[in-house]
Amino acid sequence: MQKTDTRAAEAEPGVAVPAATADGPAGGRRPLPWPLLFGPAVLAGPVLLLLVRWLDEPAMQAWRTVCLAIVVQALPFLLLGTALSGAINAFVPARVFSRVLPRRPVLAVPVAGVAGAVLPGCECASVPVANSLIRRGVTPAAAFTFLLSAPAINPVVLTATAVAFPGSPAMVLARLLASLATAAVMGWLWLWLGREEWLRPAVRHTGHQPGNSRWTEFRLGFQHDFLHAGGFLVVGAMAAATFNVAVPRSVLDTFSGSPWLSVLFLAGLAIVLAVCSEADAFVAASLSGFSPTARLAFMVVGPMVDLKLIALQAGTFGRAFAARFSAATTVVAVLCSSLIGGVLL
Amino acid sequence: MKRPVQVTLLVLGGLGLLHASLFTDLCLRYVKEGLRPMLIASGALLLVLGLLDAASGRGRGDQGHGHDGHGDSGHGHGGHGDSGHGGHAHSGHDHSRTPRIAWLLFLPVLSLLFYAPPALGAYTAAREAPKAVKEQEHFDPLPRTSPLPMTLTDFTTRVQQDREQAVKGRSIRMTGFVTPDKRGGGWYLTRIIFSCCAADAQSVKVRVYGKPALPADTWVAVTGTWHPGGTLGTRSAPAALDARTVERIVRPVNAYTDDLPLAPSR
Repeated sequence: MQKTDTRAAEAEPGVAVPAATADGPAGGRRPLPWPLLFGPAVLAGPVLLLLVRWLDEPAMQAWRTVCLAIVVQALPFLLLGTALSGAINAFVPARVFSRVLPRRPVLAVPVAGVAGAVLPGCECASVPVANSLIRRGVTPAAAFTFLLSAPAINPVVLTATAVAFPGSPAMVLARLLASLATAAVMGWLWLWLGREEWLRPAVRHTGHQPGNSRWTEFRLGFQHDFLHAGGFLVVGAMAAATFNVAVPRSVLDTFSGSPWLSVLFLAGLAIVLAVCSEADAFVAASLSGFSPTARLAFMVVGPMVDLKLIALQAGTFGRAFAARFSAATTVVAVLCSSLIGGVLL
Repeated sequence: MKRPVQVTLLVLGGLGLLHASLFTDLCLRYVKEGLRPMLIASGALLLVLGLLDAASGRGRGDQGHGHDGHGDSGHGHGGHGDSGHGGHAHSGHDHSRTPRIAWLLFLPVLSLLFYAPPALGAYTAAREAPKAVKEQEHFDPLPRTSPLPMTLTDFTTRVQQDREQAVKGRSIRMTGFVTPDKRGGGWYLTRIIFSCCAADAQSVKVRVYGKPALPADTWVAVTGTWHPGGTLGTRSAPAALDARTVERIVRPVNAYTDDLPLAPSR
């Protein structure tokens, strides 16, 4: 694969030079090739200038800022997640998980959901960790429940929610319950309908092989997983930045009137904005024109499904999985938050 | 992606993060101050990872990590990587073959090092509805300093919620950047605030009267009094200021919070 890359890079100048010299005798009165060779070099200047001017348009600048901000913000959490996942892979024996989790998958799902509270941080960290859990033999249903619940119910996120909604502890409780419910329902749904073949084959492997130094294995696995997930993070950040800049928040008010439409609309907004789960409570608090249930849906969907997460999941578990899983999670999350929001808020 | 490219990417990424967080205040354009220690740690980690990889690669030569020994372990994992998705040979084996998607990481890394985009400004602020201010019941008496330094949020809250009308007649000094009004010639004194990163940016605006607009994104300190309208202390009162002086200032380091000015940005 890397060979094709270098070959493509070498091919470009190779193609350009014969084209320029071939045009030379035919087009110019002087048969001297050198001015034509200068042509691309001279052209490159204005093209670069135009490119820079385009990149410096206010809209493009805002896009670059938001895109870079999402990547920079997510990088530490992605590193934490890949490091944890690498450590689980290389150092934690598989029997630890079989001892901690209940034997029956139906019971393992809610336990995994509650265990999500121990991984502080935002959603980028949980994808590689869930991946390594599956590699260590944890049933995928429990690992996916953990994947969904960890970014939504950890203490950092719940504290941020309490700060963003002062005087309404019901919102914090509703967020906790709705997120846990969604995560558990998704786990059970996977037990019922999920198919192993949706997962990318690599996910089914086990980690440590006898005969390798654990440290080398940890380091190489860490590096590989980070570079791999990082690439997908950039894709997700670009998509999210596009929506973030292109959708002015002022159009939101047009949807705030109808209660049902507003829930769906804010759920969709959570997906395209890709706000970090530690910060989405503040964004939700600022959407003051919307009903509390709609804002709850924003906070339940956001940490579980968004553009950068879909990109990360597609990279880690495969596209077939990411598409089905994200769609199902969105539906379940909207239902759970409507139900719990209707009762509590 | 070849090993030397991976090493380059890791080292440049580490340097980029360290450059943005440790040596300059660049990271404050994109993320909140609280993430800074994590960014420094991440930068150092990437740098170490890249250097370790470079060092081990030279020592090992071309023996392929010594993975050759367990082809007989019956996993059949060699086949998985080559089937379907190009080169994703996973599972702790051929880790030198990172998928092509990792090339994309060069974009943010190089952008951070050489072509850092500016902080969000008037373009974003003009397109967003102002942030809702929190409800506040009790207001302490204002300090006697004159002109009184205030944040845009404080000012808006005082104007619209303080029934004691403490800001009435007071000379107030606020800092922010200029956002021209698209309709008509007026302008707003603006701050962009975010709680985590620039993706969740919100803005606070105060309308300024009595002085012509400077170019968009100019950082200014404005001194003036409340611009009367509606009933002070209720929602009908506009967050607006009759400016007496407008002076240009250097962009403060805490540009993404709505705090009183500290130091100019590095």
